[in-house]
Amino acid sequence: MRFFRSLFEKVPPGLAVILFLAIVSGLILSFKKITQLEDMEMWTPARNHLPAYVPFIKGWNKEHPDQQFSISHISSRALERRLLSGFFSGTPVANLTEIHIRTAHHSFAGPLDAIGFVDLTDRLKKEGLLDEINGPSFGPWTNRGRIFVLPHDVHPVLLAYRSDIVEEAGIDVSQIETWEDYFRMMKPLMADKDGDGYPDRYLLNIWDTTGAYIILLMQQAGGRLFDEEGKATMASDINVKTLATIVTWVSGPNRVGMEMISNSASDFSLMLDGVITGFFMPDWLIGNLKQKLPTIAGKLKVMPLPAWEPGGRRTAVSGGSGLGFPKAAPNFETAWELGKSLYFSEEIAIHLFETASIITPIKRFWDNPIYDRPDPFFSGQPIGRMLIDQAPYVPTRTSSPYLELATKHLVNAAGNLKRYANKNNIFTVEELLPEAKPQLKIAQEHVENQMARNIFLETTP
Amino acid sequence: MNSNKQLQMNQRTVAQIWLTVIYFFLILFSVITLIPFVWMFSAALKDNVDFFSSLFLPTGDGFLGIAWDRLTLKHFHKLFTEKGIGQAVLNSVFLASSTSVLATICSAMGGYALSKYKFTGRAFITTMVLSALIIPGPLLLAPGYQLLYNLGLLNSYAGLILPHLAPAFGVFLFRQTMLNSVPNESLESARMDGAGEIRIFFTMVIPIIRPMIGAYLIITFLASWNNFIAPQIVLQSPEKFPLAVAINNLKGVYAEDYGMLMAGTVVSVAPMLILFLLMQKEFIAGLTSGAVKG
Amino acid sequence: MKRFRTTPLWAPWFFMGPFLFVFLTFTTYPLFQSMFLAAHQTFGPEHSAFIGWDNFRFLLSDPRFWKAFKNTLYFVSGSICIQLPLALALAMLLNRPNLKGRALFRLIFFAPSLIGMVFVAMIFRLMFEKRTGLINVLLHSVFPSFNLEFPWLDTYLMPALILASLWMHAGFYMVFFLAALQNVSQEQIEAASIDGAGPWQRFRHIILPAIAPVASFICLLSIIGSFQLFELPYILLNNTGGPQDRALTIVMYLYETGFEIGDLGYASAIGWVLALLLVGLATIQRTLSKKEEQ
Repeated sequence: MRFFRSLFEKVPPGLAVILFLAIVSGLILSFKKITQLEDMEMWTPARNHLPAYVPFIKGWNKEHPDQQFSISHISSRALERRLLSGFFSGTPVANLTEIHIRTAHHSFAGPLDAIGFVDLTDRLKKEGLLDEINGPSFGPWTNRGRIFVLPHDVHPVLLAYRSDIVEEAGIDVSQIETWEDYFRMMKPLMADKDGDGYPDRYLLNIWDTTGAYIILLMQQAGGRLFDEEGKATMASDINVKTLATIVTWVSGPNRVGMEMISNSASDFSLMLDGVITGFFMPDWLIGNLKQKLPTIAGKLKVMPLPAWEPGGRRTAVSGGSGLGFPKAAPNFETAWELGKSLYFSEEIAIHLFETASIITPIKRFWDNPIYDRPDPFFSGQPIGRMLIDQAPYVPTRTSSPYLELATKHLVNAAGNLKRYANKNNIFTVEELLPEAKPQLKIAQEHVENQMARNIFLETTP
Repeated sequence: MNSNKQLQMNQRTVAQIWLTVIYFFLILFSVITLIPFVWMFSAALKDNVDFFSSLFLPTGDGFLGIAWDRLTLKHFHKLFTEKGIGQAVLNSVFLASSTSVLATICSAMGGYALSKYKFTGRAFITTMVLSALIIPGPLLLAPGYQLLYNLGLLNSYAGLILPHLAPAFGVFLFRQTMLNSVPNESLESARMDGAGEIRIFFTMVIPIIRPMIGAYLIITFLASWNNFIAPQIVLQSPEKFPLAVAINNLKGVYAEDYGMLMAGTVVSVAPMLILFLLMQKEFIAGLTSGAVKG
Repeated sequence: MKRFRTTPLWAPWFFMGPFLFVFLTFTTYPLFQSMFLAAHQTFGPEHSAFIGWDNFRFLLSDPRFWKAFKNTLYFVSGSICIQLPLALALAMLLNRPNLKGRALFRLIFFAPSLIGMVFVAMIFRLMFEKRTGLINVLLHSVFPSFNLEFPWLDTYLMPALILASLWMHAGFYMVFFLAALQNVSQEQIEAASIDGAGPWQRFRHIILPAIAPVASFICLLSIIGSFQLFELPYILLNNTGGPQDRALTIVMYLYETGFEIGDLGYASAIGWVLALLLVGLATIQRTLSKKEEQ
């Protein structure tokens, strides 16, 4: 007894405090009822989907007392980490989960049988769902010929412009068909009226660092970073030409672009102040803008994206999410039923359009009159119809675990080419082409080296 | 005599001026150091409108020209009631306190054995510990992950606590301390008096190295509280996340709700600041003793 | 000799036991495992294939690794050249005799290092923002020519990282220097100044030699810490390497390959390169400080 007492007296106070904390917190944690939910789980990284999903799941739970689901919103990166960790090492994952394209691509890096999602190809064919969905939407979710994820969207891209500024300058946008038209006709807006030596406005949110928009433009022009077999095709002629053209937009005396990724407060203020007058406008960004920048209402209008050639494609594609079913989770059939009724519900599709401006990939819903409603945010333009008109023509993307890496090297190539242009004072597409080609070749080689290393991908059927 | 006095006077004024200059710089650096703290605390108390309209606290006609009535605790309220940050605090407290207590005991015992006993393998173990000091932690991330996977310890507290119980640095520190400050003679005489080995350790050795134990406890507590990469890799269920990971996830979801993010940061940072205020002497002494003596 | 007969054989192993068990399991074993892993390519812990030296061969030609290496080196040299001199300067200011409020200043300067990297990153992420961030707004109001759009988190990522780390660590290293300065004898300094030695000469010939061992230790500590930079850029840049990998560090690349791509083998290879680098630096420091002693 004396031993313990003397021991206690001699315990340092810090140790006593921390020991106390350890015991108390340990006790609380071990006695705290572990709220092990009996429910099946659904995850989504997209907060703007929740207002549509939460009531739907509630309704489902009411109708199916023995198949309870709960839905939780997890940030995209955290979701990816949990999902991939689950695929790699069996930590718990949801029964069904929405994912962004990036996550799907990362999960495609291993051997085909190690892809953590249930292969949906045969099921989609058998149930006749393949033809109901807009074809291009499957692109990012298909790997080695198999479809692993149910597409959620089309994400066609339009061009938004500051209609107040453009109309005040007396520019008639209906005359614009190509990018060349666009920049030529909008040029007067760039005049330096405040006399600080720089143009007052720029015409498009493009920069050599915004890889996503460079890829978007390449895809619009018909280029791809990877073909269906997953081989890198970054240095194709069409990509070379597109890249050279973009560099002329962001450097030299004819610069028209400015950097803006459109998701932070300072970027929104660039938009609102009219520093940039034209923006790429995918459907999901419209939803974002309406929420985060309501004061710009009435100052924006949209038009189809200017084409690369007369008669060319007037749209592009940006971002995307889909619904995947992890193999490791039990009750696939139930999860599939829920997922199917969620994604093929017209009510949900309409709700998503109303709350987030997202266009459904289910073609038969496109006739719904809701899409023809004039939108006051865009001074009465029928925004839904304008998006749907372009939806069948969005470029078909391919999936590759190396897309992210390719984007990085593509941005490097763009930066190098811009530096080359500035250094040699050449700012025409023709003069830049001979340098653009080797730059993209180097970028492609880097990606190919990385791919050649991956011994798990050799089993391409 | 007179000129000598004048010289002294001159020297004194020069010293005075120097001192003023020094104070100026010290105060300047103090202000720079404190600004982020003030900014963080005031951001945690503002809503998003005031966040953008005022740099620190919103100005108004209240006391000191500050609009006190515009300050709000709603971020904290929301964090604890809706975001379950309370659970993360609990997890952090548990992880940090249990890791630090166990690691300190392990290290103190190990350091004692290495410094006060002679046994076969001692030289070898000492070399091993010394070389482990240089190994960068990130090298062990990948194999550690695989090991935890094989042991089935992923996504468990044990998987996070166990690997941190044997820090080479800790054993090294305690070994040095005991070599310097625990006299062999008194251990000897205690043994002559028939005291058991375990009893000697707890009743004689521990009291001598008390300051070191206190310091090492706080060092490990702090390190464990601020640890990010290990829980980020090992834990997957949100109800197990400590603050560092929970706050990072908060950032993913509330990217534009600045007040909320800063409130979360305050919740994570304040306990460490308080802990340090209470024990700063022990802490700094322990921290520097390894460097200055060793 | 008598002493050893009186200690029972089990005693050292009883004290060594817990540490040794955990150390062997979670440090030594993973260390060997990482050599094994470095010769493999894996997809998560379950799928792996032997590829010999290919990881290292590829590493040497991997432009992203070299980018990460360059960035890390930039950061390391930036932090050593700015952080340590500033820390020393602060310590010397504080070490001045008859300075009042020393404890308070020390407390203030040291406070930022109590905050984990994660939380520092959370704070600085908002402070570095273009138009609304505190740093740009303050700099703009002090120097009106300073561009409010200064892109800290883009073009000037590395300076931003160095700045944040400076705020965090200057006080930390200052405490070490302060402890070392206590060892400098005041009599020697006074004697030197009576002999007519100027401040620089006193610093060069008395103070610097006296604190040299500690200074070189701190240097090593700071280098080792800076080479393992991870949380700060990882969180500052929303879990990416930033535009054009401008802030990709070695450990970030290790984390990305190991835990996002799932190639634990390549991650181990990166870890080994880092480890060899640090072991090399530590060896250099040792030989240098030994030479100094002789």
